[in-house]
Amino acid sequence: MRRRGASKPVTILVSLVIGVLIGAVIGYALSPRAPVTTTVTAPSGDLEKLKAENEQLKAKVEELTKKLASAGEGEITIKVWTIGPDPPSEYRLKNFQIAADMLNKWLAALGSKVRVKIDGQFFVRPVEWGEYKNKFYLAYKSGKAPDIYLTGHEDVGFLAANGYIIPLDDYIKEYWDVVYYDVIPTLWEAVKYQGKIWAVPQDTEARPMYFRKDVLKKLGWSDEEIAQLPEKVKRGEFTLKDLLEVAKEAVDKGLVERGILHRVKEGYDYFQFYLAYGGRLWDAQSGKMVFTKSAWKKTLQWFHDAVWKYKVISPTQFSGDWDKDFHGPFTQGKALFLSGGTWHKGEWVSKGLLTNEEFNENVGYMLHPAGEPGKEPVTLSHPLIYTITKQAQERGVADVAFLLITLVTDPHLNANHAVQSSHLAILYSEISDSRYKKEPFLADVAYMLDYTTFIPNHPKWGDYSRIVFNILRGVESGDLTPDQAFNELLNGIKGLGSDAVIIED
Amino acid sequence: MAIFLLPSFALIVVFYLLPVLLTLLISFTDMDYSFQWNWVGLKNYVQMISDPIAGKVFNNTLLYVFSTLALFNVGAALVISLITVHIPERVGQGYRALWLLPRITPSTVYALLWLWAVRQDPTALFNWILGFFGMEPVNWLHKHPWPIVILVNGFVGASFGMIIFTAALKSIPADYLRAARVDGASTLQIIRHIELPLIKWPLMFVTAYQTLSLLTSYEYILLVTNGGPGYYTTEVWALYSYHLAFAQYGGIVKFGYGAALATVLVILGLILSIAYWRVFRLKELMVEPKIEV
Repeated sequence: MRRRGASKPVTILVSLVIGVLIGAVIGYALSPRAPVTTTVTAPSGDLEKLKAENEQLKAKVEELTKKLASAGEGEITIKVWTIGPDPPSEYRLKNFQIAADMLNKWLAALGSKVRVKIDGQFFVRPVEWGEYKNKFYLAYKSGKAPDIYLTGHEDVGFLAANGYIIPLDDYIKEYWDVVYYDVIPTLWEAVKYQGKIWAVPQDTEARPMYFRKDVLKKLGWSDEEIAQLPEKVKRGEFTLKDLLEVAKEAVDKGLVERGILHRVKEGYDYFQFYLAYGGRLWDAQSGKMVFTKSAWKKTLQWFHDAVWKYKVISPTQFSGDWDKDFHGPFTQGKALFLSGGTWHKGEWVSKGLLTNEEFNENVGYMLHPAGEPGKEPVTLSHPLIYTITKQAQERGVADVAFLLITLVTDPHLNANHAVQSSHLAILYSEISDSRYKKEPFLADVAYMLDYTTFIPNHPKWGDYSRIVFNILRGVESGDLTPDQAFNELLNGIKGLGSDAVIIED
Repeated sequence: MAIFLLPSFALIVVFYLLPVLLTLLISFTDMDYSFQWNWVGLKNYVQMISDPIAGKVFNNTLLYVFSTLALFNVGAALVISLITVHIPERVGQGYRALWLLPRITPSTVYALLWLWAVRQDPTALFNWILGFFGMEPVNWLHKHPWPIVILVNGFVGASFGMIIFTAALKSIPADYLRAARVDGASTLQIIRHIELPLIKWPLMFVTAYQTLSLLTSYEYILLVTNGGPGYYTTEVWALYSYHLAFAQYGGIVKFGYGAALATVLVILGLILSIAYWRVFRLKELMVEPKIEV
């Protein structure tokens, strides 16, 4: 966009769209409901007030239309960076293009010659999160940052503290009644830093433990027992030890080649096993991360046993390939359990690895079981968020950027993303979207959010995660015994400093 | 006349000295993606001493550098050169050209070819060969990561020495070799008593140069094992520095600590350069010849 010409069309455009949105809300409120059979007489005072507001709005639209006509031509380019890295999450970007098209049609209808253009990027594998974030920081430093940047919620603190993004409280207040009132409240907690809101939630998810129903049947489980498994996990009656034993039985009987699969690269999923043993990740009171010694000891022992005692996880899982060692064996029925995410369902269907029918028939899903009796089953969520960069503000396009974010935070547009990529709704009204409702998987896993934990919004979280990943890699490969691994892990975590991590028994 | 050196001097300053200086300065900060110059003194170096991983990575580096050097970059390079100059010229040339293929293949393609060759499937090259002997397929990268890492790097590294040694061997005056033959010397005796002593300088230069080169190389390890498969099993110093500075999953980076690790590598390179200079008396290589040949 042209730097100098930005402010006038932008102001007009934003005012216009606010007007249109308010008009839409008032229009909706005034429009008669089709199925109404009784006549309701509105109090004459309210009706008069609404009529007056409507007249005001009409006048404002007319005024804005005139202003737009005099604003001349202009193209406002908004640079948007998003990532999958799984390809089905393409609506993280596509929704912006849909929103911009819609906006441009409104503008054309109103006689304006100002247009909004999306200059977007959607990164998919082999670009992983680390590389994507590297690209952002380097682009920012060279003055070429995107205006809208999608990232994980754990980055909010760092981005905000270092002036990369702008606070959005005022914007959100302005559009609160349009859409933001409807955002599931816990998600706002994930985007707060030092009392301010710095981003808008884009999606969330749960990480289920998938299982193959057909393999369990071959193991002699009845349909009822299989159907009851997620409930048993919920009640804590099926633990991580049971998971190992069932997996071992399936491997020993030659029903599957692999008992349990987990992701092949670094990630946050492994922390679920620690949480399942009662570990804590975050101390809200002190704002520090937590290292629960007893839970880590048990977690490391579990991973060691899974590989070397029960032989249900391959010692080479961490050096594996996504297709050959994760998606492939599970979707082909060659593995019994898979510790994955809701989005994997979307990936399997879109890649043609499973049809919806095959998925429903052969695949079940449950929480990650409790580590031991008396503990809770768990899952982990990692909400993604849209932020607006300071460079967008400097270019004078932050208002338009936020407007677009508001338009894509629409229950129906967000449902496009949720349904295609198997992510969970971020808005209450999205749950009743007709496409979302047709996807029973999303409704089935919604309860998991009651058992979820967010990863900590702490600047040293990446260090914590890296240390854990390398240790687990050592345990699975046989380089480290559980005791050695625990000592190395503890030393590594101590290195992060007591101002970052609380070490508890 | 010194003015003519200015362009090359400027290039050396901009591309060699300034990066070293910047690395050194960053190593005294805790810089991350905030790009702030927060001076922390020697904190990164103190941290390095107490870093339990640094010791393991240092040992890995020694193993990697000296094994690859001895077996391939100097060892195999010398053997290939000696063999190919003692066989008919055409065959020798063709054989040497084959050894240049890894050098001219793009790194990622080359690494992928290796990954295919050593994968666990029975149809992968290594396991296919084992199959001829009725042996079970092996997950080579998991069971034998170091031999694979050394082979991957060695096949690329051998060609440099091969070219230098071949050129040196070919520059030996034919009279010496003919005289030795007339005196009844065998090929092995010619190699031992004539050729090897006469290519002493290239041998020492390649050893010194390739040591420094291997010390800072990590790209093939990154592509093939990424420091794994276990607990920093094949992580070398330069790769550790890269991982900390640029390649963390969560995008949290440690430019300061990574730069401190890189600085250690620069210092180590300098020490080794001086040691080679002294031990190999490379100064003598540089002096003007005493007679005009």
